[in-house]
Amino acid sequence: MLKLVPDVDQLQYDCQRNILIRENMRLMLNPEDVTAMAAALELKREIPETTLESVSMAPRAAMPHLEDLVRRGIDQAALISDPHYAGSDTWATSRVLARYLGTRDFDCIFCGTRSLDGGTGQVPAQLAEALGLPLMVGVSTLVQLSPQARQAVVDVDGEAATLRFSVPLPAVLGFQYNSTCMLPYIRLQDLNRDVSSLITVLGNDQIGMDEAELGLKGSRTQVRSLKADALVDKDPLLLQVDQDGIEKVYQWLAQKGFLQP
Amino acid sequence: MKRVLVYIDEDAVADSLDLLEVGRLMYGAQGFRSYALAAGGRYGEAGRLFDYVFRVKNGPLPNYDSAAIARCIETLHQVHHFDAIIFPATHCGRMIAPRAALRLHAGLVADVTGIETDGDEVWMVRPAFNGRMLAVVGCRGGGPTMMSVRRRVFTYGEPVFKSAGIIEVDGQDLQTPGLRLMERREKSVTRDIRESKVLISGGGGIARDFRLLDRLAEALHGMVAASRRVVDLGIAPREIQVGQSGKMASPRLYIALGISGSAQHVAGIRNAEYIISVNKNKQAPICSISDIVLEGDARAFVEGLLNRIETSKIRTYGR
Repeated sequence: MLKLVPDVDQLQYDCQRNILIRENMRLMLNPEDVTAMAAALELKREIPETTLESVSMAPRAAMPHLEDLVRRGIDQAALISDPHYAGSDTWATSRVLARYLGTRDFDCIFCGTRSLDGGTGQVPAQLAEALGLPLMVGVSTLVQLSPQARQAVVDVDGEAATLRFSVPLPAVLGFQYNSTCMLPYIRLQDLNRDVSSLITVLGNDQIGMDEAELGLKGSRTQVRSLKADALVDKDPLLLQVDQDGIEKVYQWLAQKGFLQP
Repeated sequence: MKRVLVYIDEDAVADSLDLLEVGRLMYGAQGFRSYALAAGGRYGEAGRLFDYVFRVKNGPLPNYDSAAIARCIETLHQVHHFDAIIFPATHCGRMIAPRAALRLHAGLVADVTGIETDGDEVWMVRPAFNGRMLAVVGCRGGGPTMMSVRRRVFTYGEPVFKSAGIIEVDGQDLQTPGLRLMERREKSVTRDIRESKVLISGGGGIARDFRLLDRLAEALHGMVAASRRVVDLGIAPREIQVGQSGKMASPRLYIALGISGSAQHVAGIRNAEYIISVNKNKQAPICSISDIVLEGDARAFVEGLLNRIETSKIRTYGR
């Protein structure tokens, strides 16, 4: 499962109107989903008969990203896209995804633990619940995945301990961001490969959800306001990193009692 | 009288008990009856703080079996009709809460850091867009108000002591077959950065010279912390990451070296008493919450300050 998120580093906020400026917002693959995708591609290298399908609920603008993924080794991609889905919260989103995935045959669903924009981490769990599957998130390492034994072994990097779980398959596994997990490069001959036949676009006509369950109408939560985090400006003492600045900091530290021997 | 259910995560009992404060903020100290779900068996002082404690018969349901606990919560809700269900935003709390919300057809707000009330309406405040924004969110529809609450944000400061009624619930046939914890490797016990009065924290601007921070931390009797960027680069362990996806710290002194200060990072240190930041860009977000801003190279600052501290020692003790 792949989410396309706005690039939060480019985020612009209209403080006058109290809204996000969404025009021209650049979309990117959610970093934790990339980790999951990289783990899936690694698995396919180990077990070549693995087939990988990516599933995204996103606007049509996601298309180039999905084409790119197919060129990197995903076998097929599904783009679930319908104007009615805009504004759906995690409850509505999970149900749409579950409706589609309920028609598919799979051994395991890989996804990121959280997304960069909403960051609730609720969709993997709600999808698991809607499909009646076991769930484990925060996965740092996929130790073993055996469709024959119907079992996955994963490590979870907890706050106080590293935990190893055995999870029965099929299951939903949420990966934790790992900057060393990167997608493979696209091979030169694949750069311009026509992959359109490998990408299926589905609207609500195919998914068949009741419109009352979708978008803002179908959402169980409501955002009242979105505000830039208000912070108190402290009016700091401005210094340079030079002998004078360092001396002033030293004296300040001494005065506040931070230089006790 | 409102009814509030708190899920007690057996790996974070104290943080779970603090969620009574959320109930108090929503409904007032006398405005609600409190229920604790101690599915994992351990519940600390809950017997003295809650009105009721639910225990699971036929063996505990471990916190990682999110499907089982979600089903258990659904059963309890059908009997007790909670107005609010609150989870600690722990690894397992985050898995259970969404599943339970789906079963109850209820809205769920994740990672709550604040509560606002407006008459009878309850609004929850949570960070969004990687901490750059704060969203004020409410639950709609007929279900209970559900939320997971960020750890250590709320403290149940003025407890009302009670003697809880113990209610046994049936846990039979709830467990997920085949889901099990095979191994638990405790991490080496290091001091927690949240316990240090002084934090020397490094970001991208000093990533190459990160080891230098150890010396400054030693000189100032503090600990080293890091921004997410440095952790993602693999230079520092996640245990010392400061920010909303790391740890919320409230030291007396926070020295930010080469950290521009994403809103997420800033939110993690907003309770620091003093902040000194060293940055090439004096307009960096962290500078606006600093007491002292030094414009320039962080490495040069650390070396200069270490020299200065050394010199004074030589003067004092005549080495």
